[in-house]
Amino acid sequence: MHARRPGKITSPIVSLSTSYVKLVPLGLVIGAIGLGLAYFMSLPQGGLKRFSYSYLVTYCSLLSMSLGCLFFVTVQHLTRAGWSVTVRRIAEIFAMCLIPMFVLFLPILLPVLMQRDDVYQWVNAGWLAGDREMFREIKNAYLNPSWFGIRIVAYFVIWGMMAYSFFGKSLKQDKTADPTLSRTMQKSATWKMIIFAATLVFASFDMEMSLSPRWFSTMFPVYFFAGGVMSAMAAIILTAALLQRSGRVTDEITVEHYHDLAKLTFGFIFFWGYIAFSQFMLIWYANLPEETFWYRFRMGDSASPGWIFWSLLLLFGHLLIPFLAMMARTVRRNKTYLLFATIFILCMHWVDHFWIIMPQLNIEMGATDVLGGDPANNPLPFSWLIDVPCAIGMVGIYVALFSGIAADRPLVPLHDPRLEESLNYRNA
Amino acid sequence: MAHSHKHDTPVETGPSSKLISLVAQFDDPHSLVAACDRAREAGYKKMDAYSPFPVHGIDDAIGIRRTRLPFFVLAVGLGACAFALLLQYYVNATDESPIFPGYKFFISGKPLFSLPANIPVTFEIIVLSSAFATFFGMWYLNGLPRFANPLHRLPMFRRVTNDKFFLVLEAEDEKFSESRSRQQLEEWGAKAIEECHEDLTDQKIPNGFRLAGIVFLFALLLPPALIYRVSGMTYRQPRLHVVPDMDWQDRYNTQTRGPNIGTPESPRYLFADGRAMQRPVSGTIARGDLTESDEYFRGYKTGTLPVSEGAGPSAQDQDGQDQDGMATGTTPEPEWVDGFPEEVVVNTDFLKRGKQRFEIYCVACHGYDGNGEGLVNQRAVALAAAGEAAWTAAKSLHDPAVKAQPIGRIFDTISNGRATMGPYKDQIPVKDRWAITAYVRALQATGIRTPQELAEANSATPEAGQ
Repeated sequence: MHARRPGKITSPIVSLSTSYVKLVPLGLVIGAIGLGLAYFMSLPQGGLKRFSYSYLVTYCSLLSMSLGCLFFVTVQHLTRAGWSVTVRRIAEIFAMCLIPMFVLFLPILLPVLMQRDDVYQWVNAGWLAGDREMFREIKNAYLNPSWFGIRIVAYFVIWGMMAYSFFGKSLKQDKTADPTLSRTMQKSATWKMIIFAATLVFASFDMEMSLSPRWFSTMFPVYFFAGGVMSAMAAIILTAALLQRSGRVTDEITVEHYHDLAKLTFGFIFFWGYIAFSQFMLIWYANLPEETFWYRFRMGDSASPGWIFWSLLLLFGHLLIPFLAMMARTVRRNKTYLLFATIFILCMHWVDHFWIIMPQLNIEMGATDVLGGDPANNPLPFSWLIDVPCAIGMVGIYVALFSGIAADRPLVPLHDPRLEESLNYRNA
Repeated sequence: MAHSHKHDTPVETGPSSKLISLVAQFDDPHSLVAACDRAREAGYKKMDAYSPFPVHGIDDAIGIRRTRLPFFVLAVGLGACAFALLLQYYVNATDESPIFPGYKFFISGKPLFSLPANIPVTFEIIVLSSAFATFFGMWYLNGLPRFANPLHRLPMFRRVTNDKFFLVLEAEDEKFSESRSRQQLEEWGAKAIEECHEDLTDQKIPNGFRLAGIVFLFALLLPPALIYRVSGMTYRQPRLHVVPDMDWQDRYNTQTRGPNIGTPESPRYLFADGRAMQRPVSGTIARGDLTESDEYFRGYKTGTLPVSEGAGPSAQDQDGQDQDGMATGTTPEPEWVDGFPEEVVVNTDFLKRGKQRFEIYCVACHGYDGNGEGLVNQRAVALAAAGEAAWTAAKSLHDPAVKAQPIGRIFDTISNGRATMGPYKDQIPVKDRWAITAYVRALQATGIRTPQELAEANSATPEAGQ
C-alpha cells in the first residue's frame, strides 16, 4: 500500500520566489518590442485597422483562455472537487489576469468610443443604410458605442470581482487555515456560475461576432466557451509543467493531476469540434444567404480563396489530430509529451481566433463585394511580421501579468481542507 | 443470494467437496487495499477483491493488468465510422446492387453523397456502437453473464453489497496452501475467514428455461412476419387520425366565408364581402408578379401577340394542335424572339445551371441527351403500343423541326407545354426556363442523337457527362 500522504506541502519552493522580478520586465520588454514591430509593419498595410485586428486575435485568444480558467475555478468549487486543489491556484492566477486585461482592451475600446470604425463597422451609424428601418433600429439599439462601452466595463467588473473573490479568499485561507472559507466559495460559486455564463455569452457576441454585424449564430458563445476552456486546460498543464521543470511545486502536482487535466483537455477538444460542427452544419443545411456568407467566405469560395486552408487547418489541427493524440492513457501521463501537446493546442487556439476574426479584415480591406474581386488584390491577411510579433508580444505581456500577480505568493493552496485528498488523489 | 433455496444446505457444499478458495472479510477499504498489497507481495496471482463500492487503487493492489477494453472500443468505433459512411453512400448514392437497390434520388439538385450531411448519422452510429462495445465487452472480459457463483452461498459474503470488504485467495494459485494461506490472511488483518467449496449442485439449465427460450426466439420472428404481411396490403377502413386537430385544422381557407362576428341569426362577417381572404388591392401588383417584358416573360416580341382570342399562346393547349404537338397553321402565333432577352447573360455558369435544371425536370421524358428516349417516355410508348394508354411520344430535341424553331418558341413550349407535355411555368422560375432553353440549344448544337454517340462524346470530353 502506498503510504497516505499527510495534507502538508513538502516542496522546497512553492512560489515564483524572486524570479518574478526578472519575469515581469522581461515580459513587458518582449511585449513592447513585439507590439511595436507589429504596429510599425502595419503602417503601410492599413495602419491602425490592420494592427487592431491582429491585436484583437491574440487578445481574444488570451481572454477566452483566462475566462476558461475562471470557469475552471468556479466549477471546482461548485462541484466541491478535491482532486484539483493543487492545480487550482494556477487557474486562479490566470483568472486574476482578467483584471489588467481590461486595460489591454482599451486600444480596441477607446477608438470605438471616439466613433472610429476601424475594427467594428457598426460604429459608423450608416453601416445599415439601405436596410429596412426596423432591422436598422434593432441592430443600432444594441450595437452602438456608448452601450458597447458600458457592457464591456460591466463584463470586466463582474469577472474581476469573481476572480478577485476566489483568489483573495484562497490566499486568506493560506494564512488563517479557515475551512469555512471553502464553504463560502462553494456557496457563491452557484450564482457566480450563472452570471459568468451570461456575461461570457454577450462578451463573445460583442467582441467577436459583432465584427460581422449582419451575421448571427446563437451557437457562437458556446463555440467561444468550448475553445476557451480547452485552451485553459492546456495552459494549466503547460504552466504546471514549466513550474515543475524549474524546481517549483515538485511534490504537490502529481502525474494524476496531469492525467485528469489532460482528460479534460481531451474532452473539450471534442466538445469544441462538436459545437463547431453543429454551428456549421445547421447553417450549411439551412442554406440561408444571411447566414451562409460567413462560412462561404471562410471556405474559400471568395475573393480570398486561401481561407479554405485555414478552415482545414482547424479541422485537422484543432480537432482530429489532437483528438487522436490525446486519446491514450499513457500519453496523458507523460509530462514531456504533454508539454509539446499543450503548446500545439494553444497555437491552434490562436489559429481558431485568427480564423474567426481575420476574414472580416479581408472583407473590409479588399473587395467590398464579398464574393467578387480579384484574389491578387486581396491576399490572405497573414503576415509573419505583423501577426506573429503581435502574438509573441501579447503573450509576453500576459506572462508579465501572470508573474506580477503570482509574485511571491504560494502557487498551491497551503491549507485547503481538501489538500490531503488532492495529494493522495489517484486515477482509477 | 438471499433466496432460501433447497440446495443451500451443507450437504452439497460441505467439507467433502473440493476447496476452491479462502474468503477473508475486512471492515474498511483501507485494510482491504493493504491486505491486497501484502497478498501481491507474497506472490499470489489468482485472487480477487470484492467491495460495496469502487475502491481507488485496488487494481494496482491486486496486480491486475490494465484492461484491453479501450482498444476494443477504439476498433469498434473506427469500424462503425467506416460502416456508417459506407451505408450512407450505399443507400443514397448507388442504384444497383446484388441484394437491395439503393435510393439514388436527385432531390432539389442536392448532391447524392455529401460529407457534412452524413456526419450526424456517422457520429450517432459511432457513439451507439462504442457504448455497446464498452458494455458488452465488459461483460465478455468479466466472464458475464454468470448465473451462479459459489461465493454467494457463504452467508458472510452477503454483506459485500452493504458494509464489508472481501479478499478471496483461490486454491488454484501456486502459492496457495490451506493452512499457510489462512495464517497469512489472519496476519494481514482479516476479521473472519471462511472456506468456499465447489458447488456440486446440478448445473444444468432447467427445462422450463429452455422452453421459454425457444418460445422467445420464435416470438422474435413475429415483427418481421407482421411487417411482411402488411406490406403491399390494401386497406378499406379510413386511416387512423393520430392528431385530429392537425388533420382537420380550425382555419379559413381561400374561397370560403370569413369568420362570423355577429350572431348566427344575423351574421356579420369580418370583411364586407364575407370572404375569408381578401383580393389584392386594385391597381397593385404583388412583389415579383410584375411581368411586363413580353420578350423575357413570354418569349415573343412586344406587340406581336395575335388578338384572335384575346389569350396568350397558352390557349393553344386546348386545341389547334396536330399529331406532333406542333401548333397548326390555323392558330396564329406571335413573332417569337430569336435570341436571348437582355435580362439573361448566356455564359458557362448559365449553361451549367440550365443543364442541372434540365436534368431535374426534362430528362424523365426527353432523356439526358434530348433524343426523347427518357424512361417515362419509353414506358409510356410501350403502354401505348399495348393499347393501355394514350400518349404522344416525347419529341427528340434534335428533330430538324425543333431545331428550326426560334428560341422564344422553345421557351414558350417549356412555359406552357405542348401536346402531352404539361406547362412548367409554375414550377420553374423564368430565369431557369431561359437557362434550360440555352441548354437545349447547346444540346442541339452538339448534334448528339443516340446513346452510343453520347457515350463517345462523354469519353472525349469528361465534363459533358453527368
